[in-house]
Amino acid sequence: MEAVTGWWDDFFWGSLVVVELFIVAIFLTVLFGLIGAGAKLSGNPVAKSIANAYTIVFRGTPEILVLLLFYFGSAVALTAIAQVFDPEIKFVDIPPFWAGSLAIALIVGSYATETFRGAFLGVDPGQVEAARALGLSNLKTFMYVRIPAMWRLALPPFGNHMLSLIKDTALIAVIGLEETLFVAEQAIGTTGKPFTMYIVVGGIYLGFSTIITLSVMVLEKYANKHLEVAR
Amino acid sequence: MSLNCPLFDCDLIVESIPKMLEGIGLTIELLFESAVLGLTLAIILLLMRISGRWYLVAPTMVYIYIFRGTPILVQIFIIYHGLPQLDFVRESILWPIFREPYGCAIVALTLNTGAYVSEILRGGVLGVNRGLTEAAAALGLSVRQRFIYITAPIAIRLCLPAYSNDVISLMKSTALVSTITLLDMTGIARTIVAETYAPYEVFISLMFIYLILTWVIQRTFGVVEKRLSRHVRSEV
Repeated sequence: MEAVTGWWDDFFWGSLVVVELFIVAIFLTVLFGLIGAGAKLSGNPVAKSIANAYTIVFRGTPEILVLLLFYFGSAVALTAIAQVFDPEIKFVDIPPFWAGSLAIALIVGSYATETFRGAFLGVDPGQVEAARALGLSNLKTFMYVRIPAMWRLALPPFGNHMLSLIKDTALIAVIGLEETLFVAEQAIGTTGKPFTMYIVVGGIYLGFSTIITLSVMVLEKYANKHLEVAR
Repeated sequence: MSLNCPLFDCDLIVESIPKMLEGIGLTIELLFESAVLGLTLAIILLLMRISGRWYLVAPTMVYIYIFRGTPILVQIFIIYHGLPQLDFVRESILWPIFREPYGCAIVALTLNTGAYVSEILRGGVLGVNRGLTEAAAALGLSVRQRFIYITAPIAIRLCLPAYSNDVISLMKSTALVSTITLLDMTGIARTIVAETYAPYEVFISLMFIYLILTWVIQRTFGVVEKRLSRHVRSEV
């Protein structure tokens, strides 16, 4: 383990990148999930088929392929656009951080779409009707009745989505983001100790997974606290 | 033959699809072998987990916790790049497996999917109605007979939908072997993109191939599910 000594600070910065990625991606995941679920539940056939195509494609293809497509695809498109203005330019890319967080958020968002759809369907229609009868607007019904009732149902599967999200961040090292796996590769270059370094990365991810699992447990307790009194 | 397409280079698509399909054998081989080995591992883990003996339960829980809590890519790297650092691995009889990227890929995928599948199987076993096993016990069936004739058949039906999802994620995980020099479909696609620099044409065509594979897996399990639950359907 002494080989790691000089590398702890690099691993720390790498972990920080993972945390940043996670925060950006979880926000986008919820957004894509809600839009997708909204589209699937809407009566609009066009929105519905777009949402269906979205979930089929992003749930049925390997994560790494989506990531490579986003990163290299955007780079080719941006380079072509940039060359219109300045033919000297050879290569422009979206920073791997943004290409990566967008790609993994779209993937996990497709799973979240199904989760949110199920959760919205699980909300007692009587509650929504009651809100209507009280004269609440559509937006207020959504914010104060549907969302609080659905997130309790969505929380356990959403916890699993967060775990897949944190694990998917490791893939972004493949397109050159300086996160923990990337740090490990550099450390291996100097120390020649791949086993030690990758075990450190594994340990970091295990720590993240543990934090997420525990947080979801706390959140679930909080979400269901109105049920505890009844027991 | 030359095709004129407005946005994409169709010739390249037509050229690259057969090239990528050369890797489908490797993808299917990896999927099939690690699915079978992973299921075997998962059954062993399940039996250890439900044995009720702490010295069998504790290691299983640690194993599942570690393999479900870390990214599969990191596991692949630890096994392929990491293990050769350890002298006892290089001197062991298993070295021929760990020396080849293919062996490492199979080991990594098996260990990973085994952890997930054993949890799915446990869910199935826990879902079996207690009354049934109690009735079997009252009829004088031994623990082993109860598990084989009562619990297992019902548990298999219960966990089949979740299992089919796991086979699909395993299929998606096989794409990661392209990071350890194996030329599966993704590996070939990456080489083509590196040469032609046409990511849209190549990667999107490959996404369609993977989508077809996913669909085939789903349909196959759908047929099996239908057959296994035919006694339920006839009542309806």
